[in-house]
Formats: sequence, C-alpha cells, structure tokens
Amino acid sequence: MKIDYSCVTRRTFLNTLLGGWILAFGSGTLYALCKFAFPTLGKEPDFVILKASDYLEIPVNSVKPFAWGGKLGLFFKNTKGDTFALKGVCTHMECNITYKPEAMKFYCACHKGWFDETGRNIEGPPPKPLEFFDSAIEGEKLVISRKGVKIEPPKA
Amino acid sequence: MNRQRLRRWFEERYDLTEIGRLAGSKLVPSHRYEIWYYTGGIALFLFVLQFITGMVLALYYVPHFEYAYKSIADIVTKLNMGWFFRSLHHWGAQLAIAALFVHLFSALLLKSYRKPREFLWLSGFILLVISIFFGLSGYLLLWDERAFAAVKVATGGAGNLPVAGHCIKAFLRGGIDVTGETLTRFYAFHVSILPLATLFLIGIHVLLVQYHGLSVPVSLEGKSRREIPFFPNLFLKDLMIWLIMLGIVVTLATLLPPEIGKIADPLAPAPENIKPEWYFLFLFQTLKLFPGEIFGLNGETVAILLISCGICFFFLIPFFDRKSAHGQRSPFFTWIGIFYTLYFIVMTFIGFLS
Amino acid sequence: MKLFIFIILFIISAKGITWAQNTIEVFPSASYDRFIIFQTLALFWIGIIGCVIIIKMKLREIERTQKMGIYKEEKTIPLLD
Ligand code: FES
Repeated sequence: MKIDYSCVTRRTFLNTLLGGWILAFGSGTLYALCKFAFPTLGKEPDFVILKASDYLEIPVNSVKPFAWGGKLGLFFKNTKGDTFALKGVCTHMECNITYKPEAMKFYCACHKGWFDETGRNIEGPPPKPLEFFDSAIEGEKLVISRKGVKIEPPKA
Repeated sequence: MNRQRLRRWFEERYDLTEIGRLAGSKLVPSHRYEIWYYTGGIALFLFVLQFITGMVLALYYVPHFEYAYKSIADIVTKLNMGWFFRSLHHWGAQLAIAALFVHLFSALLLKSYRKPREFLWLSGFILLVISIFFGLSGYLLLWDERAFAAVKVATGGAGNLPVAGHCIKAFLRGGIDVTGETLTRFYAFHVSILPLATLFLIGIHVLLVQYHGLSVPVSLEGKSRREIPFFPNLFLKDLMIWLIMLGIVVTLATLLPPEIGKIADPLAPAPENIKPEWYFLFLFQTLKLFPGEIFGLNGETVAILLISCGICFFFLIPFFDRKSAHGQRSPFFTWIGIFYTLYFIVMTFIGFLS
Repeated sequence: MKLFIFIILFIISAKGITWAQNTIEVFPSASYDRFIIFQTLALFWIGIIGCVIIIKMKLREIERTQKMGIYKEEKTIPLLD
C-alpha cells in the first residue's frame, strides 16, 4: 500500500532523530563516567591464615583481634578453654565490638548492643547473632574460614 | 590616574549610572517578619567564611589515611594560628548549618515557598542536604576514632535504603568498608565536588531571589506596606549582622576549639558513646524509636523508608500546598510546618541530652 | 552579666581539665600565649563594635536624607576637576 502523505513530517523526524541521538550519545558517555566513579568492590575473604602459636596461647576468657580482610576478626577463648573465631563486627550498624571479660559478653559501644558468649544478640538493637567462623589447625598454621566454605589452603 | 579619569574610563565602557539606578531601585518589603530575611544572608556569609578558611586549611592537609591525622595534628600544634583556623572552620560549619536550618524553617512557616517560588525552595533544600554532606565528609577528614565510627554508621544507614542502598553505600565508601579509600573519596567530595555544586546552586538561589523579589507572608499580602531600598539600607544592616556573626564565630573558635581524639583504627573497638553531629541527632533519635523488627521486616529499613517519605514530602511541600499557591491562608500546612519544626527541635534536644 | 562571665570562666576551666587528658593540644598551653590570644579577641570585638557603630551612624544619616527626599544626586552640579 502506498500513502500519499507521510504521517511524520520531516521536521518531527529530524527532531526525534536529533533528540534520540543526543540521548543515546549522552547516556553512553555518562555510563563510562559512572563506571569509573563507582569503585571496584573487593570481597570479604573466604579464609585467612594466621600463625597458630600467636593465638592458641591466649589466656582464658579473653580475645585477640586479627584482620579479616579489612574488618575486625576476634579469636576468642571462653572460660572453659574452648576457642572460637568470629567476626568482630556488630550486626546492627557494623561497629566493632569488644569482649567484656567481667560480664563474659560481647559489647558494642555504638548503641549499647550485647551478645552472649555464643554470639546471640541478647540486648540492644542488634538484629542478628554474630557470625562465627570455622577454625582449624594445620601444623604451624591456624586457618580461619567462613562457615561451610571448603578451602584448600595453598601449599607453601 | 585620578579618580575622575578612572571613573570616566569605566563610564565609557559600562553604563555606571544605569547600574547604580538598578541597584538603587531594588526595594525590599519591610514588615514585622522582616527579621527572617536576614537568616539567608547570614548563611551566605558563613559559607563565604567556610570557603576561605577551607582554602587555607587545604594548603596543609594531606588526604591520605596514613598522614591525614598527623597533618591535622601538625596544623593544630605547629603552624602559626593553625589551631585557630581549624577551630574557625569547625565552628563556621556548625553555625552555617544552624543558620540554614533556621532559614529553612522560617521559609516553611512563612510559606515563602509558595507559588511562584517553588524552585527557590527546592534549590535551598538541596543546598541544605549538600551542607550536611559537607559536614559528614569534613568530619571524616579528621580521621580520628569518633569520626571513623560516625561515618561507618552514617554510610551504613544509607545502605539500609531499599533497592539502591547497597550501591549508594559502596559509592560513598569507595569499597565495602570504610577505609583509606573512603578518606580519599570524601576529600574529593569535600574540596571539589560539593563546593562547585554549592557555588552553582547558590548562584541559582540568589538569582531567583533577585528575579522574584522577597516573598511577603500571606497574612500581609495585599496590605499596603513600607518598602525600603536594598541598597544601601538593607545592605548596611546585613553588614552589621555579618560583623557580629564573625565576632561570634571567632569567639567560639577561640574559647572552644574542637578536640581531636585517638587516631582511627579499623580493628579497634568502637569508642564508647558515639553521638552523631547535632544535625543528625533527629534522624538518630527517630531511628531509635523503631523496634528491631516490624512484621518480619528489618526495623531499620522500615524506619529509613518512613523517614525518606517524610523528607520527600517536606521537599515537595510547595506542590502539595495548593491553597497558599493561590494566595489563600492554609492553616493546615501551617500546622504541618509547626509539626516539622517542633519535631526537629525536640528530637535534637532529646538526642543531645540522652 | 556576672552570670555570663561566670559561664565563660566555667567553660574555660572545664576545657582546662580536658586538656590534661588530651593527646593533642588544640589550644596553646603557655599562659603567655593564652593571654595574647584573649587580648586579641578583645581587640577584635572592639574593632567589630566600632565598625557596627559607624555603620549605624551612616545608616541613620542615609535614612535622614531619604526622609527629606534629597537622596537623588543632582545631575547638573558642576564638578571640580
Ligand atoms: S552498631 Fe552495634 S549496636 Fe548499633
């Protein structure tokens, strides 16, 4: 079929073309800019390797900090002498927590959150219990890994 | 070259008498609420002060997480008057934000936002948001324990926003955590991105004030009132107030220099009793009102969602207030305005005292 | 006024206590320096108050002439060159 008159005038066509073109070009440019401005995100590690002798000897009812990526990790020995590794970051708003040996609880100073020895959130705003890690001793090394992650520590 | 010649030199190029006439013809309404007109001028003055003190501080500050803290310690202890200018920058910021809040609430209660001044309201509001972000980013530059924890909590709070929360958080932090990268980022915000945006918006804001003239409260509209020339009468009054403001800032800066805590350490436990800056207290207190969990949802997220709605309504209030747009009284929105004002004041006080 | 001075003194002394525990001194500690600082502050205020008073006088003068309606300069006044 042939129509005598086009539904679109030359002018609308050109305006649409120009507008669309500019839009496409602009968004492409902007995309590149945003891509650069947005940081490449690192990831939390799956495991860290520490020197066993530094950590296993700590006194009972105390903690020793280690670096879990950029975050705080705590190596914890309770009153019975059992050891645990946990993430020392409050589940409320990510403040670093401390261990209060007198109360045998973990404490977050930001909004007064309390966790018991097993990491349960017992008081204050924190919505979730603390995250505990698996720890294993391999000779000299103390391997601390995220729960449920199977790791093959590099042979070195 | 004597003055006459200089004057003539300019007159040949620019129509000075015309400019003088224009400046002289700007009239400002004079009535019993006119005192609130000065709040904007005060804010402007404090901004200029912030720009100047900021520039001199930038001559010495090192934006790197290993040196930042030390460079500020050096500014404070080793440089001539360093402690003073840092303190001045701090107090200037506090007062600037206070002046902005007063300016905002006075505009809200006098309904200066009504038609045709919607864009004035919007640009002013954005300026306030920018200033608050100025405060937050400037605070982190100190890189001490408290600033570190405060920024962690504030950016973490932004992360609770639905949908875009995580992106915003990562963008602000420059990673998944608050690290040295965050410091670099906040430095860029604080000394380049935000100041330029501020200049641009202040330009628009002031131009719009020129274009629309000063708003007159609804209750006084239509009545015959006195008008006084802006130049020189009001300008001289402004000048006096600015001078007194300068005196106040300088006095505060000398008597109460802000302290510097221990250096930030990502692995150290959070310091006891951290409190956000006073202009965040009302948000902080509101967050505390909500329980940890509401209908199985994260209470934090619900709270932040509600707060965002409240702020959005506040931002768009000129478009909701249909009555005053037509020049009628709208007591309902006066009540809303009073509610917002009181809420802010009361919450800030509670936060301050607790 | 007395109360005001008292408050100021209190603030200063309270600050003095906190300085003791502070690692970084945010205010010069030598009493000589402090004296100079407070002196300068007083001078600064005198300067400001002076400025304000002069501006006030000027403003009065302007308002007076405006009331008389003679603020428009006469164009035809011959100028001395
Ligand atoms: S961040 Fe730990 S209680 Fe809020």
